[in-house]
Amino acid sequence: MNDEQFHRYARNMILDEVGEEGQEKLLASSALIIGMGGLGSPVALYLAAAGVGRLGLVDDDVVDLTNLQRQIAHTTERLGQPKVASAATALAALNPGITVETHPTRLTPENAAALVGAYDIVVDGSDNFDTRYLLNDICLEQGKTLVSGALLRFDGQLTTLRPGRHLDDGRRAPCYRCIFPTPPDPDTVPRCAQAGIFGAVAGVIGTLQAVEVLKELLGLGESMAGRLLLYEGKEASFNTIKLGWNPACPACGEGK
Amino acid sequence: MTAMAQATLKLYSVLAKFLPPEAHQNKMAIEVDETTTVGSIIRTMNLPAKSCHLVLLNGIFVHPEARAETPVKEGDSLAIWPPVAGG
Repeated sequence: MNDEQFHRYARNMILDEVGEEGQEKLLASSALIIGMGGLGSPVALYLAAAGVGRLGLVDDDVVDLTNLQRQIAHTTERLGQPKVASAATALAALNPGITVETHPTRLTPENAAALVGAYDIVVDGSDNFDTRYLLNDICLEQGKTLVSGALLRFDGQLTTLRPGRHLDDGRRAPCYRCIFPTPPDPDTVPRCAQAGIFGAVAGVIGTLQAVEVLKELLGLGESMAGRLLLYEGKEASFNTIKLGWNPACPACGEGK
Repeated sequence: MTAMAQATLKLYSVLAKFLPPEAHQNKMAIEVDETTTVGSIIRTMNLPAKSCHLVLLNGIFVHPEARAETPVKEGDSLAIWPPVAGG
């Protein structure tokens, strides 16, 4: 670690739980972030700030004026730019010492395995169920940890998935399909564009995702694996429920 | 007349529109008897079953296949979330 890095990460390293060793670990780590929107923005900014050495950004969209009430990695000046390029500019300004790889594409069954395979941990900040199920299945195949966040209106959800693997207490970890066996009909799923999203709620959940990614990379504290956090913005309430592996799960159940 | 046994139903996000207008904190009281189940409440409330994506009874996850036979008793708290996938 050079002198600049020593100063930049001083407030991380002063924490006993991180230390110089932990910071070196973060610098040597990589994370793939799916979606550079309301969740992906704070996730990418905080992981870059913390010094996660290599970040992959996946999004096929361009910055639109309606994004800017919550997607804080983008700016008015960068309207019309690909979101991954806009976010890369923000991350380079924040921390030029990390590597940012931009993937201006949608996550598809064709490209998902190669993208996920190239990083240590995966963050789901996508805006649709197709991507959420695809990511779960690829992470199950590859044994990758997936930190998943989702938003709607004033509410948000967060969990960490270790599909096909085990929780810290040795029980089998649930996968996304253990909790939600089948994708909902697309016509029952409101998107932020129709249902609305109270912008700062994206910051709450995205920032929590960044905390959980850093904890997973450092092996620090209590993982969110096996737990689902439900945040209700209007009531200002956080509830955590336990989730278990489903032996009848179509993806990771008994005999799979 | 004896008071009916009551449980609490909480509906989140876009499901909140199925609550009566006077509902506070996404919550309403529902009457329950020995035949009441998670599934029967979803039907009685006319909630679109496909929008009932995540169901919690007293904070414990109820698997979709178990809804029809999971009883809801006096004092229970049933919470239902619609599909949430925004990012």
